[in-house]
Amino acid sequence: MIETILQYVIQSTIRSGLYALVAIGFTLIFGVGGVLNLAHGASIVLGAYGAYFAATQGLGIPGAVAAAVVIPAVFGAVMYLTIIRRFEHEPIMVMILTLVVSVAIEQVVLKTFGAQPVAVPQFFSGNFSLGATNVQANQAAIFVLSWALIITLFLFINYTKQGKAILATSMSAKGASLMGIKSSRINLTTWIIAGALAGVAGMALGSQLTANYHLGRNPLVLSFSIVVLGGIGSIRGSVLGAYLIGFLEVGVVEFVSSDLTGIAPLVVLVLVLLVKPEGLYGRELAE
Amino acid sequence: MVNDGNRDWSSSSNGNKNGKSENVGNKRRFGRRPFIKAAGIGAAATGLAGCLGGGGEEAAVPLADRDEIRIGVLAPHPSEDPIGGSIANGAKLAAKQINDDGGLDGTELNVMVKDTAEDPQTGRERYGEFIREEDVDLTTGVFTSEVLLAILEDIAEAQTPHMTAGAATPDASAQVNENYEQYKYHFRTGPINAHHLGVNLVDFMDAKASDLGWETVAVLVEDFTWTEPVSAVLNERLEDTGVDVVMNRRYSSGTSDFNPVYNDVEDSGADAAFVAMAHTGSAAITQWAQQQRPFEFGGIHVPMQLPAYYDLVKGASAYGVTQNSATPQSEVTTPDEVDRGDATVPFAENFMAEYDSYPVYTGYIAYDAVNQFATVVEEQGDLGADPVVTGLEESSYTGTAGTIEYYGQDSDYTHDVVYAEDKVWPVFMQWQPEDPQNPQAGGTQEVIFPDNLATADYQTPPWI
Repeated sequence: MIETILQYVIQSTIRSGLYALVAIGFTLIFGVGGVLNLAHGASIVLGAYGAYFAATQGLGIPGAVAAAVVIPAVFGAVMYLTIIRRFEHEPIMVMILTLVVSVAIEQVVLKTFGAQPVAVPQFFSGNFSLGATNVQANQAAIFVLSWALIITLFLFINYTKQGKAILATSMSAKGASLMGIKSSRINLTTWIIAGALAGVAGMALGSQLTANYHLGRNPLVLSFSIVVLGGIGSIRGSVLGAYLIGFLEVGVVEFVSSDLTGIAPLVVLVLVLLVKPEGLYGRELAE
Repeated sequence: MVNDGNRDWSSSSNGNKNGKSENVGNKRRFGRRPFIKAAGIGAAATGLAGCLGGGGEEAAVPLADRDEIRIGVLAPHPSEDPIGGSIANGAKLAAKQINDDGGLDGTELNVMVKDTAEDPQTGRERYGEFIREEDVDLTTGVFTSEVLLAILEDIAEAQTPHMTAGAATPDASAQVNENYEQYKYHFRTGPINAHHLGVNLVDFMDAKASDLGWETVAVLVEDFTWTEPVSAVLNERLEDTGVDVVMNRRYSSGTSDFNPVYNDVEDSGADAAFVAMAHTGSAAITQWAQQQRPFEFGGIHVPMQLPAYYDLVKGASAYGVTQNSATPQSEVTTPDEVDRGDATVPFAENFMAEYDSYPVYTGYIAYDAVNQFATVVEEQGDLGADPVVTGLEESSYTGTAGTIEYYGQDSDYTHDVVYAEDKVWPVFMQWQPEDPQNPQAGGTQEVIFPDNLATADYQTPPWI
């Protein structure tokens, strides 16, 4: 029994780290820019395939990680500069445009790399035992990477000039602009950071599950659930939401039925919207 | 399936495929052919058939009077997916070779390809386009069982022969069996139907389980339509082989994280995961290899059938076993056996030369389907649906995947390809690394069963 619980805790903790990685970029854009980025899944796909492509070119794990970060980050920047900036005060237009771009990216990936899944390189290979549980080194690496990025993001937001400007813009774009903060530059920064985070999440996901052109769809839905549960716009809430949903999902699959995979986050999404639509931490970063 | 009522070709009152062919029995292509030629053929055909009084006789559509024979191929993502691409290219290669040989009595084959996107509604739309706009004489392909079942009613209404190359559900042949006159236009050239896929798994275990050392197995089957008959057979017969089934699970079709499933397999103490997987297979094999789970892995794993799969998953398929119709190196048939076109290995090599990749199993089947159809048409000298149906029923055609014959009306699987050792008898293959010390470097598909086609002995994964 203790072994089962230990296994559950370890698997849930590792899964939640990945979920947090998937969701924080999504929440960052909403918290600061006030728009929903439905191309978040496309950034995840670009990260996974960027890593795959770099590996096939013989660039090794460092090259794969670099590609997984840089390609989606550039994609985020281009998206913002060419499309989002023109419509950043029209959230519906942004939703439509990001959705269209997302579908287009999927099709480009499909045409370029084919419909068959591809193996994305692992950060680390091999396994080790933790208690009575067999843990992949790659999963553990993703967990550590997730927390490293969360802490780095937290420190960046709270203790750097640029970060404080992001925080200020998220609280009040008008107030921030009165203080001389250029909101467009801040938004561009968040799109780049969110793209890079999604890219890392894509490589992490792909290294566990293999990648295909629609790899980003489930994470997008998952991001919705996590962000709504945590409180739209709250990074802290998103991290907590990722852990709650991670533990819930692994628990449902482990103790109820593996047929219910993927259902728990959707149920949570509906329940939170019905009962506590502001989520656990409200929208602390938003005006 | 509900008729959406928007197909003018289905509204004929005289059994024709559409209203364009009232004078010529049940073929309707003459609206697209030169009028004089059409009128001549129509008059001759109806006269010969003696059906001016509506006697229901099949009108002849003489091969010599045709300017081309049109074949519609339905394939999923033919430009991007090796499974769909193999269907399309297998059919094209057969047509090309026939045309290079002077066609059928001088008439060339014209192959057209449309994308089903593995979606039932899309499949119906593309099938309808073939019938309404392209006037095809034959359709082939269809990989996904759900798509095949969606178009089955349309095939019946169109009264145009269809030779399935890919989908395995026996629900289609059950329809033919139950209502023969309506559904007799459907044939499954391959693979063997899903019931026989299950029987084939049992036959494999019966013959090889002791050699492999698989005394206990955990049965893992993805929850899709095509696996339902597979599960039924395994539940009923697998333990008769002496193998102990210690776990038996149909897992969710949405599964991408196999950790919980594999933990249960480990807990069960099974020697091997005995699987039936297509859509979820890549995540399953990759996680099995990455985690070096202490059980072996084999059964039906559709992605592993791809000749290029080893590189796609960076060697994760090493030591995995899957059933397959044929492999580029397996001499299922030899050149002195085949009736038309190439035998297994020459076909694979010609396919590689033409399309720069080896075919997936669907490629062998689509190639055989077009060649068998051509053989029947040539023998009958007639493109009419009924002569073709009769010809296919009587045909015994040896192609790349074996000798293709179809079950008759008295079988539960009417018009499915016959599963037997001297007919169609799939191979089981294992991906074996070229360098065991560096499994990512490259691997080959080695046949391990049946013994007369074996190219290597089974290898146990080194971590077990």
